[in-house]
Amino acid sequence: MNTKAEALTRQAAELQILQRVAAEINATLDLEEIYDIALRTMDELFEFHHALILLVEAGGETLRVVASRGYENQSTGGRVRVGVGAVGIVAQRRKMLQLDNLGQQRAYASAQRRQMVKSGMEVGDVAPVPGLPNAESQIAIPLLIRDDLVGVFSIESPKRQAFSEHDRNLVTIVANQIASAIRNAQLYDERRRAADALQAANASLEARVAERTAALERELRIAEDLLSQARRRVDGPLIGDSAAVRGLRDSVARESTRTEPLLLIGPPGTGKEAVAHALHGASGRKGAFIAVGCAELQTQNRQTPRGSTIVQDGTLAAKFELACGGTLFLNGVHELPRAHQRELEDLLKSRTRAQASGGTRDTDVRLIASTTPEAHQGGMSVSLPARREIVVPALKDRREDIPALVDYFVRKHARRFGKPVDGVSPESMRRLETYAWPGNIRELETVLERAILVTRGPILEIDEELLDDKLAVGSYRLISRLGSGGMGEVWLAKHRLLARPAAVKLIRQEAPPGTVREQLVGRFQREAQVTARLRSPHTVQLYDFGVNDSGGFYYVMELLQGLDLQDLVNRFGPQPPERVIMLLRQACRSLAEAHEHGLIHRDIKPANLFVARLGREYDFLKVLDFGIVKDQPADADLTAANRLSSPNLLQGTPAFMAPEMVLGDHPVDAQTDLYSLSCTAYWALTGQLVFDASTPAQMLVHHARTPPPRPSDVSELPIPRELENVLMQCLEKDPTKRAASAVELEAQLAGVRCAEPWTEDRARSWWMMHVPEVAS
Amino acid sequence: MAPVRLPEELRPVMDNGTSALMVTCSASGAPNATVISKVYYVDETHVALSFQFFNKTIKNVRENPRAWVGLTDFMSQSDWALDLEFEHSETEGPIFDAMDMQIEAIASATGMSGIFKLRAADIYRVLSVERLPYQP
Repeated sequence: MNTKAEALTRQAAELQILQRVAAEINATLDLEEIYDIALRTMDELFEFHHALILLVEAGGETLRVVASRGYENQSTGGRVRVGVGAVGIVAQRRKMLQLDNLGQQRAYASAQRRQMVKSGMEVGDVAPVPGLPNAESQIAIPLLIRDDLVGVFSIESPKRQAFSEHDRNLVTIVANQIASAIRNAQLYDERRRAADALQAANASLEARVAERTAALERELRIAEDLLSQARRRVDGPLIGDSAAVRGLRDSVARESTRTEPLLLIGPPGTGKEAVAHALHGASGRKGAFIAVGCAELQTQNRQTPRGSTIVQDGTLAAKFELACGGTLFLNGVHELPRAHQRELEDLLKSRTRAQASGGTRDTDVRLIASTTPEAHQGGMSVSLPARREIVVPALKDRREDIPALVDYFVRKHARRFGKPVDGVSPESMRRLETYAWPGNIRELETVLERAILVTRGPILEIDEELLDDKLAVGSYRLISRLGSGGMGEVWLAKHRLLARPAAVKLIRQEAPPGTVREQLVGRFQREAQVTARLRSPHTVQLYDFGVNDSGGFYYVMELLQGLDLQDLVNRFGPQPPERVIMLLRQACRSLAEAHEHGLIHRDIKPANLFVARLGREYDFLKVLDFGIVKDQPADADLTAANRLSSPNLLQGTPAFMAPEMVLGDHPVDAQTDLYSLSCTAYWALTGQLVFDASTPAQMLVHHARTPPPRPSDVSELPIPRELENVLMQCLEKDPTKRAASAVELEAQLAGVRCAEPWTEDRARSWWMMHVPEVAS
Repeated sequence: MAPVRLPEELRPVMDNGTSALMVTCSASGAPNATVISKVYYVDETHVALSFQFFNKTIKNVRENPRAWVGLTDFMSQSDWALDLEFEHSETEGPIFDAMDMQIEAIASATGMSGIFKLRAADIYRVLSVERLPYQP
């Protein structure tokens, strides 16, 4: 009876403990507290002190002891592999395990092990397992949430038969509570960490956004300042603090918001267009600033049918429409013939009347015109209705502004050329301040631009000679820049004595003084001398060459009127086969002579074939840059490796480069030029390169390896089969399979039959229609 | 004949995991005695013995299904004698899994994993059970 009562009392106590543990363990999300509650519960239920809680580690290969109770040498942090020992097996199989008489079982296994070792069998190492070394009874229970293993809960005893089935059930109940509480705490911890990370990321993002916003605001302020400055000063002419320029700025501010026509009167080169731009900027007008050169307008008018005028043909009306809501600037209005000036005056009067009666769509245009004092005084300029005037001063009348203007232009062009120029020397500044400046600000800018181009140091030196003759190389005076490219610049020039116009090419060459530079100069001279001996009318004529003080090469060649083949195709599209044949034949004649002299061009491409008007001849082809050293190093041959190492060539020439130049497996000879010439013809006929490639390297690989597609496959225009065959032969990878010489190639081209020949009349008509400024 | 049932007090002795003496005979009657690590309680009329090695005991049992097992209960200081008859082997199922898990728990910790391995759970029907006076 007593035993039954004791059992009931015990069950009631156990129930109370289990209820309490459930309440306590679910009331916390702190893992340490959960472990403590679990282990304390074991004490209360079994009055012993050997229990382990192990959790699965990342990767699921091991378990780590996170809490323990009752072990003298057992410290938290011990590990056991999944599948090893009672705890590891429970984790692996996810089933409860109860073991008894462990000592005897271990002894039995150890005896078997010793026997096997003695008989030479291989056995594994004894694995350290956390727990009591002398445990006799053990219950290990997997901590599972559905099928997800959290860890293992283990209790041990050194006594045999320490745990009954009832005990096992009790431990199972507690283990389930532990598993649930641990998982909840883990999830909470993960979410807390995620929230912390999110918060940190948000904070970081906010900081970056704030930083970026601040940076953008700074940039915006700078841009607004610059815009404001630009609106106030625009370009060079309004810089300075002289009385003249202050007066000019006042005039700009005063006149900018008015609507009447305005006439700017100033000598050439004083910056009248920039002043007009400043007026537009300060006016607040939202429309465009349209500048029209009257000299150009007059040229265009020459092409209109006889008797029509700039007003009747709509040219000027179109400009007014473009400038609607903005400003129309007629630059050099005195250059219009008197008849056209009167037409313009009539047009303006009718517009003024239309404006007074409510306006037409394009009447909201501020008209600004410019003229020179001489033309104005001579009555050669337009009589604008109700016009106002601003006088733009000559540079000699505002000398005190020269240092500020110099500073402005030096910074502008040093940035453009990428040169670290700080300014001009005091002596040079004195010269600049005392020079007469007949060309005004434009001349000042040109002098500084030229000085920056040739300088080798951070301080510009401008000597008397430069100012006397402005810009000069050798016997030639540089007039104006015609264009620039990767290699250098081309200037319009005149011979000092003969006054013959010429084109001067200034080649950027930064070889340092020494042997390499001497070799480079020697080679340049040799090649220039050979080129100068060429007499073909289709080779551009070389007048002079040399090396200037800053170490750069220059050469002087005949000045040509027209456009190069690249420009021609870009502007007017693929050309008819008969015209391409005619141009190619001329190129062949040039190449044939050069090849006889042992001179290989090496860089035949559309940009180096110039289609010119020569006297009464149209479509006269000239081969440019013949044999002239470019930016190749030292005196080495122009091997593929050298070419590949040049960034300039990689940018443009690979599209026309022969395989042997890419691979270096065959000497560069006449066939190399014929390959490039065929690539050029391919482009002229189709408007497309032989190979389509996204990088220069890819293009080179194509030239070296890929069979070229036939031009007729990519062209929308019919191409004679014979012409195509001739070109495809010259595009052979093997140079020996190409036409044997330029002479042979020309003969092959001469044999190609076209439906309609390219005659002189057709050529002239084409030029009159498409490039009238040259044709006329 | 009514099946012989295992007495209640014998189960803890088995669960205790005590080792036992097992005696078998070959078809020709040659006896063989060996120590086995544990006798597993299956139900009140059956026990399971682990088949871990291809040894003489197994050979005998396959020839002659009868076996004798002696167990010592150290708590009550008494011995038990069981007459058994081999019924079948199990290589899967709850009995096999429970036995395998216990063996692997010990084997894996003693470097005997893969060697000290349960190949089958041999199920024996209890033919007779007798409590013997303890003989220290």
